[in-house]
Amino acid sequence: MAAKRTAPPPANPNPNRRRVTSAADDSASAPPSKRMLAFHFLRALSRIHSSTPVPRRTRTIRRAAYSSMARAASPRSAWSRALLRQVRVRRAVRSRRAVLMRRRVSAAPAPPLGASRSSVSAGQTSVAPPVRTPPPRQEGEPARADALRQLIPGGNGMEYCSLLEETADYVRCLRAQVQLMQGLVDLFSGQ
Amino acid sequence: MSGRRGRISDDEINELISKLQALLPESSRRRNASRSSASKLLKETCSYIKSLHREVDDLSDRLSGLMSTMDSDSPQAEIIRSLLR
Repeated sequence: MAAKRTAPPPANPNPNRRRVTSAADDSASAPPSKRMLAFHFLRALSRIHSSTPVPRRTRTIRRAAYSSMARAASPRSAWSRALLRQVRVRRAVRSRRAVLMRRRVSAAPAPPLGASRSSVSAGQTSVAPPVRTPPPRQEGEPARADALRQLIPGGNGMEYCSLLEETADYVRCLRAQVQLMQGLVDLFSGQ
Repeated sequence: MSGRRGRISDDEINELISKLQALLPESSRRRNASRSSASKLLKETCSYIKSLHREVDDLSDRLSGLMSTMDSDSPQAEIIRSLLR
Protein backbone atom coordinates (compact mmCIF):
# COMPACT_ATOMS: atom_id res chain seq x y z
CA MET A 1 0.00 0.00 0.00
CA ALA A 2 2.85 2.34 0.72
CA ALA A 3 4.37 1.46 -2.59
CA LYS A 4 5.71 4.40 -4.41
CA ARG A 5 4.21 5.30 -7.67
CA THR A 6 5.95 3.81 -10.63
CA ALA A 7 8.86 6.00 -11.36
CA PRO A 8 8.25 8.30 -14.26
CA PRO A 9 10.10 7.54 -17.47
CA PRO A 10 13.81 8.24 -17.19
CA ALA A 11 14.25 11.93 -16.93
CA ASN A 12 14.93 13.31 -20.28
CA PRO A 13 15.22 17.03 -19.84
CA ASN A 14 16.17 17.55 -23.42
CA PRO A 15 14.88 20.65 -25.10
CA ASN A 16 13.90 18.42 -27.98
CA ARG A 17 10.68 17.70 -26.28
CA ARG A 18 9.72 21.27 -26.43
CA ARG A 19 9.64 21.37 -30.17
CA VAL A 20 6.03 20.41 -30.17
CA THR A 21 4.69 23.92 -30.31
CA SER A 22 7.49 25.65 -32.11
CA ALA A 23 5.36 26.09 -35.20
CA ALA A 24 3.72 29.35 -34.20
CA ASP A 25 6.89 31.23 -33.59
CA ASP A 26 6.65 34.25 -35.81
CA SER A 27 4.64 36.83 -33.97
CA ALA A 28 3.63 36.54 -30.34
CA SER A 29 5.03 33.25 -29.19
CA ALA A 30 2.25 30.87 -28.37
CA PRO A 31 1.84 29.85 -24.77
CA PRO A 32 3.40 26.48 -23.99
CA SER A 33 1.13 23.59 -24.75
CA LYS A 34 -0.84 22.46 -21.76
CA ARG A 35 0.56 19.01 -22.13
CA MET A 36 4.13 20.19 -21.83
CA LEU A 37 3.29 22.23 -18.79
CA ALA A 38 1.49 19.32 -17.21
CA PHE A 39 4.26 16.92 -18.06
CA HIS A 40 7.01 18.92 -16.48
CA PHE A 41 5.04 19.89 -13.45
CA LEU A 42 3.66 16.45 -12.75
CA ARG A 43 7.03 14.90 -13.10
CA ALA A 44 8.43 17.34 -10.59
CA LEU A 45 5.49 16.67 -8.31
CA SER A 46 5.98 12.95 -8.30
CA ARG A 47 9.62 13.43 -7.49
CA ILE A 48 8.71 15.72 -4.64
CA HIS A 49 6.15 13.28 -3.39
CA SER A 50 8.68 10.56 -2.97
CA SER A 51 11.61 12.53 -1.73
CA THR A 52 10.75 15.70 0.12
CA PRO A 53 9.69 15.68 3.76
CA VAL A 54 6.41 17.37 4.40
CA PRO A 55 7.41 20.59 6.13
CA ARG A 56 9.40 21.90 3.20
CA ARG A 57 7.00 20.83 0.52
CA THR A 58 5.22 24.07 -0.14
CA ARG A 59 8.37 25.89 -0.96
CA THR A 60 9.63 23.05 -3.10
CA ILE A 61 6.40 22.82 -4.98
CA ARG A 62 6.41 26.50 -5.67
CA ARG A 63 9.94 26.34 -6.99
CA ALA A 64 9.00 23.36 -9.09
CA ALA A 65 6.08 25.29 -10.52
CA TYR A 66 8.34 28.05 -11.75
CA SER A 67 11.05 25.83 -13.10
CA SER A 68 8.68 23.50 -14.85
CA MET A 69 6.97 26.53 -16.33
CA ALA A 70 10.31 27.80 -17.55
CA ARG A 71 11.19 24.42 -18.99
CA ALA A 72 7.95 24.09 -20.85
CA ALA A 73 8.25 27.54 -22.32
CA SER A 74 10.12 28.22 -25.47
CA PRO A 75 13.80 28.86 -24.88
CA ARG A 76 13.40 31.93 -27.02
CA SER A 77 11.85 33.67 -24.08
CA ALA A 78 14.47 35.45 -22.11
CA TRP A 79 12.52 35.10 -18.92
CA SER A 80 12.54 31.32 -19.09
CA ARG A 81 16.28 31.28 -19.56
CA ALA A 82 16.73 33.69 -16.68
CA LEU A 83 14.52 31.56 -14.45
CA LEU A 84 16.43 28.41 -15.21
CA ARG A 85 19.66 30.21 -14.60
CA GLN A 86 18.41 31.32 -11.22
CA VAL A 87 17.49 27.77 -10.37
CA ARG A 88 20.92 26.52 -11.30
CA VAL A 89 22.67 29.22 -9.36
CA ARG A 90 20.54 28.68 -6.33
CA ARG A 91 21.25 25.01 -6.40
CA ALA A 92 24.96 25.66 -6.68
CA VAL A 93 24.83 28.09 -3.79
CA ARG A 94 22.99 25.61 -1.65
CA SER A 95 25.38 22.78 -2.26
CA ARG A 96 28.29 25.12 -1.81
CA ARG A 97 26.91 26.37 1.43
CA ALA A 98 26.49 22.82 2.58
CA VAL A 99 30.12 22.14 1.83
CA LEU A 100 31.24 25.26 3.64
CA MET A 101 29.13 24.49 6.65
CA ARG A 102 30.58 21.07 6.85
CA ARG A 103 34.04 22.49 6.61
CA ARG A 104 33.32 25.03 9.24
CA VAL A 105 31.97 22.45 11.60
CA SER A 106 34.80 20.01 11.24
CA ALA A 107 37.70 22.45 11.25
CA ALA A 108 38.53 24.67 14.17
CA PRO A 109 37.31 28.23 13.86
CA ALA A 110 39.75 28.86 11.10
CA PRO A 111 40.99 32.24 10.07
CA PRO A 112 39.03 33.68 7.17
CA LEU A 113 39.97 31.90 4.03
CA GLY A 114 41.56 34.82 2.35
CA ALA A 115 39.80 35.92 -0.76
CA SER A 116 37.44 33.00 -0.94
CA ARG A 117 33.78 33.69 -0.53
CA SER A 118 33.51 32.27 2.92
CA SER A 119 31.18 35.03 3.81
CA VAL A 120 28.22 33.00 2.67
CA SER A 121 26.53 33.04 6.01
CA ALA A 122 23.52 30.94 6.79
CA GLY A 123 20.42 32.90 6.20
CA GLN A 124 21.50 34.33 2.94
CA THR A 125 19.03 33.05 0.46
CA SER A 126 19.36 35.41 -2.41
CA VAL A 127 22.29 35.36 -4.73
CA ALA A 128 23.72 38.52 -6.11
CA PRO A 129 23.47 38.15 -9.86
CA PRO A 130 26.43 39.26 -11.92
CA VAL A 131 26.22 43.00 -11.89
CA ARG A 132 24.89 44.24 -15.15
CA THR A 133 24.72 47.82 -16.20
CA PRO A 134 21.09 48.48 -17.00
CA PRO A 135 20.53 49.38 -20.62
CA PRO A 136 20.07 53.05 -21.37
CA ARG A 137 16.58 54.17 -20.55
CA GLN A 138 14.48 54.68 -23.57
CA GLU A 139 12.80 57.97 -23.96
CA GLY A 140 9.18 58.01 -23.09
CA GLU A 141 9.60 54.89 -21.05
CA PRO A 142 7.44 55.28 -18.00
CA ALA A 143 8.97 54.96 -14.59
CA ARG A 144 6.68 52.02 -13.93
CA ALA A 145 8.83 49.94 -16.16
CA ASP A 146 11.31 49.49 -13.36
CA ALA A 147 8.73 47.90 -11.12
CA LEU A 148 7.86 45.57 -13.96
CA ARG A 149 11.52 44.74 -14.40
CA GLN A 150 11.69 43.53 -10.86
CA LEU A 151 8.84 41.15 -11.45
CA ILE A 152 9.91 39.55 -14.67
CA PRO A 153 12.84 37.19 -14.29
CA GLY A 154 15.80 38.60 -16.09
CA GLY A 155 14.02 41.85 -16.59
CA ASN A 156 16.82 43.98 -15.37
CA GLY A 157 18.87 43.60 -18.46
CA MET A 158 16.12 44.24 -20.92
CA GLU A 159 15.27 47.26 -22.83
CA TYR A 160 11.77 48.54 -22.87
CA CYS A 161 10.51 46.90 -26.00
CA SER A 162 11.72 43.43 -25.16
CA LEU A 163 10.45 43.91 -21.66
CA LEU A 164 6.95 44.35 -22.98
CA GLU A 165 7.17 41.28 -25.12
CA GLU A 166 8.60 39.19 -22.36
CA THR A 167 5.93 40.40 -20.00
CA ALA A 168 3.19 39.30 -22.32
CA ASP A 169 4.76 35.91 -22.69
CA TYR A 170 5.37 35.56 -19.00
CA VAL A 171 1.80 36.47 -18.15
CA ARG A 172 0.47 33.93 -20.59
CA CYS A 173 2.61 31.16 -19.20
CA LEU A 174 1.97 32.12 -15.64
CA ARG A 175 -1.73 32.08 -16.22
CA ALA A 176 -1.55 28.65 -17.83
CA GLN A 177 0.49 27.38 -14.93
CA VAL A 178 -2.05 28.69 -12.44
CA GLN A 179 -4.84 27.02 -14.37
CA LEU A 180 -2.94 23.77 -14.36
CA MET A 181 -2.35 23.89 -10.64
CA GLN A 182 -5.93 24.84 -9.99
CA GLY A 183 -7.05 21.90 -12.07
CA LEU A 184 -4.83 19.59 -10.09
CA VAL A 185 -6.12 20.87 -6.81
CA ASP A 186 -9.67 20.37 -8.00
CA LEU A 187 -8.84 16.92 -9.21
CA PHE A 188 -7.29 15.86 -5.95
CA SER A 189 -9.78 17.39 -3.65
CA GLY A 190 -12.91 16.56 -5.53
CA GLN A 191 -12.87 12.88 -4.89
CA MET B 1 23.58 58.58 -34.43
CA SER B 2 19.97 58.91 -33.60
CA GLY B 3 18.93 56.92 -36.62
CA ARG B 4 16.55 54.00 -36.59
CA ARG B 5 18.88 51.83 -34.63
CA GLY B 6 18.41 53.07 -31.12
CA ARG B 7 14.75 54.01 -31.30
CA ILE B 8 11.91 51.62 -31.47
CA SER B 9 9.00 53.26 -33.18
CA ASP B 10 6.17 54.44 -31.04
CA ASP B 11 3.74 52.38 -33.04
CA GLU B 12 5.46 49.19 -32.10
CA ILE B 13 5.41 50.14 -28.50
CA ASN B 14 1.74 50.97 -28.65
CA GLU B 15 1.03 47.70 -30.29
CA LEU B 16 2.89 45.80 -27.61
CA ILE B 17 1.08 47.72 -24.95
CA SER B 18 -2.30 46.95 -26.41
CA LYS B 19 -1.33 43.31 -26.56
CA LEU B 20 -0.57 43.47 -22.90
CA GLN B 21 -3.84 45.13 -22.26
CA ALA B 22 -5.61 42.28 -23.96
CA LEU B 23 -4.01 39.88 -21.55
CA LEU B 24 -5.21 41.54 -18.42
CA PRO B 25 -8.31 40.17 -16.79
CA GLU B 26 -11.68 41.39 -17.99
CA SER B 27 -12.55 43.72 -15.16
CA SER B 28 -9.59 45.97 -15.60
CA ARG B 29 -9.95 45.89 -19.32
CA ARG B 30 -13.38 47.42 -19.28
CA ARG B 31 -12.25 50.24 -17.13
CA ASN B 32 -9.42 51.06 -19.44
CA ALA B 33 -11.44 50.82 -22.60
CA SER B 34 -9.96 53.84 -24.29
CA ARG B 35 -6.31 54.48 -24.65
CA SER B 36 -5.07 54.58 -21.14
CA SER B 37 -1.68 55.79 -20.33
CA ALA B 38 1.07 53.29 -20.62
CA SER B 39 1.97 53.95 -17.05
CA LYS B 40 -1.41 52.92 -15.75
CA LEU B 41 -1.33 49.80 -17.85
CA LEU B 42 2.05 48.85 -16.54
CA LYS B 43 0.78 49.32 -13.06
CA GLU B 44 -2.16 47.03 -13.74
CA THR B 45 0.18 44.51 -15.21
CA CYS B 46 2.41 44.62 -12.17
CA SER B 47 -0.45 44.03 -9.81
CA TYR B 48 -1.81 41.27 -12.01
CA ILE B 49 1.52 39.50 -12.02
CA LYS B 50 1.79 39.88 -8.30
CA SER B 51 -1.64 38.40 -7.82
CA LEU B 52 -0.69 35.50 -10.06
CA HIS B 53 2.39 34.92 -7.95
CA ARG B 54 0.23 34.88 -4.88
CA GLU B 55 -2.06 32.35 -6.48
CA VAL B 56 0.88 30.12 -7.26
CA ASP B 57 1.94 30.30 -3.64
CA ASP B 58 -1.53 29.52 -2.43
CA LEU B 59 -1.98 26.63 -4.83
CA SER B 60 1.41 25.21 -3.90
CA ASP B 61 0.32 25.26 -0.34
CA ARG B 62 -2.88 23.44 -1.07
CA LEU B 63 -1.17 20.97 -3.30
CA SER B 64 1.36 20.15 -0.65
CA GLY B 65 -1.43 19.51 1.82
CA LEU B 66 -3.31 17.36 -0.64
CA MET B 67 -0.30 15.39 -1.65
CA SER B 68 0.31 14.11 1.79
CA THR B 69 -3.12 12.57 1.88
CA MET B 70 -2.84 10.96 -1.49
CA ASP B 71 -2.27 7.31 -1.72
CA SER B 72 -0.87 5.51 -4.68
CA ASP B 73 -3.95 3.50 -5.47
CA SER B 74 -6.35 6.32 -5.94
CA PRO B 75 -7.72 7.06 -9.38
CA GLN B 76 -5.89 10.34 -9.39
CA ALA B 77 -2.56 8.65 -9.07
CA GLU B 78 -3.52 6.50 -12.00
CA ILE B 79 -4.28 9.55 -14.06
CA ILE B 80 -0.93 10.99 -13.24
CA ARG B 81 0.80 7.78 -14.11
CA SER B 82 -0.90 7.60 -17.43
CA LEU B 83 -0.04 11.20 -18.22
CA LEU B 84 3.57 10.63 -17.48
CA ARG B 85 3.96 7.50 -19.48
